Amino acid sequence: MNIVVLAKQVPDPEAFVSIAGEGRSLEIEQKFAVNLFDEVAVEEALRLREKHGGKVRVITLGAARAIEVLRTAIAMGADEALLLDDEAFLEGDGTSTALALSRAASKEPFDIILAGRQAIDDDRGEVGPMVAQFLSLPHVGGIVKLDCDGGKAKAESETEGGHEVVESRLPAVFTVERGLNEPRTAPITGVMKAMKATILKMTPADLGLTLSEVGSLGAKVRVERYLAPRKRQEVRLIPGEPADAALEAARILVDVERVI
Amino acid sequence: MEKIVVFVELKGDRPRKASLELLSETRKVADSGRYEVEAVVLGPMSEGVREKLRLYAGRLVNITDPVLEAYTAEGYSQALSAFVAEEGAHIVAAGATRIGRDFMPRVAVLLSRGIASDVTDVRWAEEPFTVVRPMYGGKVLAQISFSGSPAVFTVRPNTFALGGPHDSAGQFLEKRAGISPERIRTKVIRVEEKTKGKVDLTEADIVVSGGHGMKAPENFKLLEDLAEVIGGAVGATRSVVDAKWRDHEDQVGKSGKTVSPRLYIAAGISGAIHHIMGMGTSKVVLAVNKDPNASIFKHADYGIVGDLFQVLPALTDALKKRLGK
Repeated sequence: MNIVVLAKQVPDPEAFVSIAGEGRSLEIEQKFAVNLFDEVAVEEALRLREKHGGKVRVITLGAARAIEVLRTAIAMGADEALLLDDEAFLEGDGTSTALALSRAASKEPFDIILAGRQAIDDDRGEVGPMVAQFLSLPHVGGIVKLDCDGGKAKAESETEGGHEVVESRLPAVFTVERGLNEPRTAPITGVMKAMKATILKMTPADLGLTLSEVGSLGAKVRVERYLAPRKRQEVRLIPGEPADAALEAARILVDVERVI
Repeated sequence: MEKIVVFVELKGDRPRKASLELLSETRKVADSGRYEVEAVVLGPMSEGVREKLRLYAGRLVNITDPVLEAYTAEGYSQALSAFVAEEGAHIVAAGATRIGRDFMPRVAVLLSRGIASDVTDVRWAEEPFTVVRPMYGGKVLAQISFSGSPAVFTVRPNTFALGGPHDSAGQFLEKRAGISPERIRTKVIRVEEKTKGKVDLTEADIVVSGGHGMKAPENFKLLEDLAEVIGGAVGATRSVVDAKWRDHEDQVGKSGKTVSPRLYIAAGISGAIHHIMGMGTSKVVLAVNKDPNASIFKHADYGIVGDLFQVLPALTDALKKRLGK
C-alpha cells in the first residue's frame, strides 16, 4: 500500500505574530513545529505500512526551512521526502497550494493520501478536500479511525453530536483529526538517518505547472491587508464573597450585557 | 442584479442555525437592492422545513437526487457547483460547519475559483467585495478579496445575528441534479447520534467550559447544571479531554472546536493559548478562577477570583432566580 502524506511546517502555536508594513505583511517569531494534525497523519501512514507493506512518501511545500518537517517524518520512519522547492510556490492560497501538492502526489501511484485536517497557521482546512477534487478522488474529512481492506477503506469521523462511519473506495484522500492515534517520538536512530537522508526537490516545471499556476500568482483569493483582532477591555473583576459575586455576575450578564 | 447562493444545511428536520444566520444576513443585504438571494437545500426536505425556509429567502431551491439522500462531499459539491454555474451566481456562501468546511473547498475547485474559509465578517458594500477571516488561531485577521466570480466562502457560526422569519413566503422550485451514482465513491454506512437534541457546541449561543480546575470528571455536573439553566452547551479544555474526563468532541481550542458564542463562561481554565484560539471571538467572556494571575483573565471581560466549587452553584442559583426557573 503506497501512502502519501501532505505535511506542513508551521509557526509554533505560542509564536508571537504581529502585523507589519501597515497591514501588508506579518512578522512571525522564528519558532517552528510540525503542524500537529500532520504528525498524526505521518503516524497513521506508518501504521498502515506496518500492516499492509508499501511505502510512505511525505510531501511539503514551503520555504527552505520546511525541510525540517520532512526530516521529522523520516526520523519517525517515512521512506521518502519531497520538497516543493521554489520561491514561486510560496504565498499561495488553498487552491494554488492544493494544485501543486496534487500534481506532486500523482507523480507516483498511490492508494491513500493523508493530510492534517487543517494547518494551524492559515487555519484554512481547504487543501485536503481540494487535492481530492483536483485528482477527482473521494475524500473523508476529520477522521478518528481508519481501516483499510483491499480496495476499500472504512473511516470514522466525529460529527456535531456523534460519529459517522463512511466507506470509501481507494485511492482516496483522508484528512485526520487529533485522536486518530498518538504520534510516536522519533527514535534516535531515525534522527541520525534523517540527517543524512536525501530530500527530493521539485520545481513548478517538474510538476508540469507554469509560474502563473502556483503560489501567489496562481492564488484565486488574496489577502488585501492584515487587521488586528478586536481587543478586549481590561477584565472587570467582580469582588465579594462567592454568593455576592455570583449575584452581581448574574445581574451584569442579564441586565447589562443582555447575553442570557 | 447579482445573485447570492446560500447553501442551507439541514440537521434532521431542521435547518442549521448557521444557515439561518446566513439567510438573515443576506436577506438584509438583498434589501439594499444590489443582490438577490437563493437558498439551496440539497437532498430530501420536509414540507415543514420548506415552509419555514420560504420565510427566510426570496427564492428557495431544492435540488434532489438519489445520491443526495445522505451527505457525501462528492455529491454535494457536484450538485451545488453545477447549480451555481448554471445560475451565474456572484457569491456562494455556506456556514462553516463540519459539512460546509468539508465540501465547499471542492465546490471552489469545481468552479475554478478560490475559497475563504471560516470568515467572521463580510464587507458587502466594499469595492471590491471582501471578507475577513481569522488566521493563526485569531492572533490576526486577514481581509480577503476574490479574483473572478463567484466568490466562495464559509461563515463561522454566530457571526451574523439570527433574524426572524419574514411575512411573505419566497418562491419555491424543485430541481433534479442528475448525478451518476458511479461518481460518488463514498457511502455513509453508520451514523451514531450520541447527544440527540443537545445544543451543538459550535452553534450554541452560550458555552460553559471547564478546565483542569474542575478537578474530577464528576464535577462537570456543576457546569451541566449551569448550562441547563441558561440554555448553553458544555465545553472543555485539552487537558480535560486528554485526561478523558470529557469527549474530544467537547474540546474547545486549537486542536478541538472553534466557538464564538454570545457568552462564554470559563471555569477553572488557566487560559493557555491553545484554548484561547478556540474561543477568542466570543462576545462576552466571564472567567472564574482561584488564581488571580491566571492568563484567562487577560481574555475575559468579567472575572471572579474565587473557588469555582462555591461560585458555580451560587451562579446557577442566582440565574435560576433571575430567570424565574
